[in-house]
Amino acid sequence: MQIIENSKIKEKLYIEKLNNDLTIMIMPKKTRKKYIAWSTNYGSIDNKFYSRDGKYHEVPDGIAHYLEHKLFEQENGRNSLDVLTSLGVDANAYTTNDHTAYLYECTDNFFEALDEFMNYVQNPYFTDENVEKERGIIEQEIMMYDDYPEWSVYMNAMKAMYKNNEINIDVAGTKESIAKITPDKLYEIYDSFYYPSNMVLVLVGDINPKEILEDIKNRMILKYKNPTKRIYEEEPQEIVTKYIEKEMNISMPIVLVGYKDNDLTSNKIKKDIAVDILSVLLLGKSSEFFENLYESGKILAEPSANYEFSKRYAHVLIQVQTNYIEEFLKEMDTQIKNIKENGIKLEDFERAKKRVYGDFIKEYNDVSDIATNLISDYFKDINTFEYLEEFTSMNKEYVEKVLEEVFVENRKVVSVIKPFTKKD
Amino acid sequence: MNKLIKKLDNIKKGEFMNKISTELKQGIKLHCIKTDLYKTDISCIIITTPLKRETVTKNALIPFMLRRGTKKLPTQYLINKEMENMYGASFNCGIDKMGDNVILKFYIESINNEYSLNNENILKSNIENLLDIVFDPVQNDKLLNRDFLEIEKENLKKVIESKIDSKDSYAFEACISAMYGENGFGLYKYGYIEDVDKITIEEISEYYNWLIQNAKIDIFISGHIDEKEMENLLVRNENIKKLRPRVENYILNNESTEIKQKVEKPQEVVEKLDVTQGKLVLGLDICSNFENFQGIAVVYNAILGDGANSMMFQNVREKAGLAYSAKSVLVKQKLNIFIRCGIQIENYEKTLEIIKLQLENIKNGNFSDEDMYNAKMYLISGIKNVEEEQDTEIVYYIGQEISKTNISLEEYIEKIQKVTRKEVIDFASSVNLNTIYFLRN
Repeated sequence: MQIIENSKIKEKLYIEKLNNDLTIMIMPKKTRKKYIAWSTNYGSIDNKFYSRDGKYHEVPDGIAHYLEHKLFEQENGRNSLDVLTSLGVDANAYTTNDHTAYLYECTDNFFEALDEFMNYVQNPYFTDENVEKERGIIEQEIMMYDDYPEWSVYMNAMKAMYKNNEINIDVAGTKESIAKITPDKLYEIYDSFYYPSNMVLVLVGDINPKEILEDIKNRMILKYKNPTKRIYEEEPQEIVTKYIEKEMNISMPIVLVGYKDNDLTSNKIKKDIAVDILSVLLLGKSSEFFENLYESGKILAEPSANYEFSKRYAHVLIQVQTNYIEEFLKEMDTQIKNIKENGIKLEDFERAKKRVYGDFIKEYNDVSDIATNLISDYFKDINTFEYLEEFTSMNKEYVEKVLEEVFVENRKVVSVIKPFTKKD
Repeated sequence: MNKLIKKLDNIKKGEFMNKISTELKQGIKLHCIKTDLYKTDISCIIITTPLKRETVTKNALIPFMLRRGTKKLPTQYLINKEMENMYGASFNCGIDKMGDNVILKFYIESINNEYSLNNENILKSNIENLLDIVFDPVQNDKLLNRDFLEIEKENLKKVIESKIDSKDSYAFEACISAMYGENGFGLYKYGYIEDVDKITIEEISEYYNWLIQNAKIDIFISGHIDEKEMENLLVRNENIKKLRPRVENYILNNESTEIKQKVEKPQEVVEKLDVTQGKLVLGLDICSNFENFQGIAVVYNAILGDGANSMMFQNVREKAGLAYSAKSVLVKQKLNIFIRCGIQIENYEKTLEIIKLQLENIKNGNFSDEDMYNAKMYLISGIKNVEEEQDTEIVYYIGQEISKTNISLEEYIEKIQKVTRKEVIDFASSVNLNTIYFLRN
């Protein structure tokens, strides 16, 4: 078993690859909680592929998420979510654009739940009846998201930034696309993407790494399978449109500014840290930019900026709520221009770096946060601990370079959700 | 040193040994939660005062005014710089409603001293800054800074208006308001637009000074701490020295103080907004008291709508496929249960019928021993999690402090374990539908 230790956060990560090619990552923590998540590298962006028999498939949008809902169904008529809940464990699942994860956490009954958990993830049971039954539930989930302005502003930004990249597809699909989902299609997806080398199993909490490995092996059914081939659309360098807006019943406009980053080969961890530092320097609560906009009543809270990326896309997103859209955008451009021209003050850089360091440490508090990060980083080919290593060597010049290269006018999109225009 | 009355809560069975409460002065308590499970410390000041129509908006404005600057750090940018230097300590403040009281909360979360890179005493600095923010704001002749007032009034108005942005919580608040009107629990915690303009600097300053000298104050510190050291730090702090002892003046809400009459016919409220999905909220009254109220009420609620095995989840979602989210929430302080779900607008009647059937089913004992078992299991595992989550643990102790209950987690589990089927059925008969609220387009 490989052991990686980080002296700054005082944690150890144990990594093992089983004979069937499944990767297992374990981080023991001082707590009574145990957390387990089993995730596969299949999400909403993977809608075109060749199965192992060489056949080409194009599947309906939202199928990864639909499968996530349906995997809980068992042949004995029980739903594994109910069974796990009866054991007093907190079971759940989620789907992102590049992976799907099944999980539970608990203080008691971990091993009883492990039987059920590993059994249901490895035994799909889809019927016309149980697939049909879910359609109404997922339709309501889609409609619930339709009422969230933050979701609309995000999806619109993706549509403005990406012409072909599948990130512009809603994770849950649409009412129309999910109508086309059948048991056969779900089995095809399961068979093509739920195979060991495409998956990772993560355990965090009150866990003994050596002992748990045996428990996992004893319950392992999935055999080694060859990978399948996915097809993605070629994405042009350019954005689709500079501006996109929608009206909803809200009190104040929500603005999301995106910068599309076409450089997918550079060190993403370093870039991610640099964007975090830039977020503090450009827009943070201690910046002059924030001070001016706050004092003139144009913003109420600190704008948030983050770097969202996977192996297939990368962009910076800055979100704010303001009644003064034009002024905010103009001030932000000026701020970016000023720092590009004059450089970053060393004192500000050091302070921003301290804040970002503190935020990293905080991410190692909660078993579920840790596991979620381990999984999403694993599918990005990133070792989570590297963040703390890269952090130490982060310098002002690199951050200035990222500002210069990523915050570029012709890769910028603005997505706005506005309150309804008042009619007489 | 001041006269300190030391009180150890619930030493029984060692379960609560990690929380030590000390009365610093009458009406002002320090609660130390000792834990080494986290990489962070949380310091939190809670001010509790009754919710009243006359003061609700002023209460909401106070955190807005106080976050702007202290005597030592007179602007929020200086406060923010200081927080960033403390490794991104996050300072926040807000307003919560707890029964008929409002809680003003001010808190700082930061990494533990052992993770500092230059041996700073992060916790000490944060506690002192937090005390300054709440008790030593920029003041001139007992008046808060006039320059902050206009902009913070505008900010408060925006927050009040933003009530509409989350349709789920808007519907929940609207149902509460339909049941209680503009009284106590029925009030909106951020107050009312029409009050905001009228507030003058004299009024808000006078109210602030009254509040800190008269309201119940609780200071919670959670982390890898030594309670003696914390106590010394506070007792010697100038801000604490300035505070006078006070008689705790707030409203105690519990199963003995709340008495509900059964309404004959529930009121129906329909509101129209531009929503894609309809939001249905049912407000229920619990109309009698029971000996083991705490245990029975949570078990009843778990069978009805808390968790994946509940009747709401199983019948409204899983069997009928009418909703993605379908649950019920118990508001212990006010003896209410709220059923909440998001549905297609044309399914209103159908959903209502299914929900009413579930209420009848519990009343008639149409639930299995397995349902009882599942509900208890679900609740007990939730309780066991309390000590494993830093913020949950603080919230749990705040609830205990405000409701003046002192049950250990073990006792709470016992109360749940001993609930019988018959008790749940009897309890169900006392649950009565008060209001049906529907938000639609």
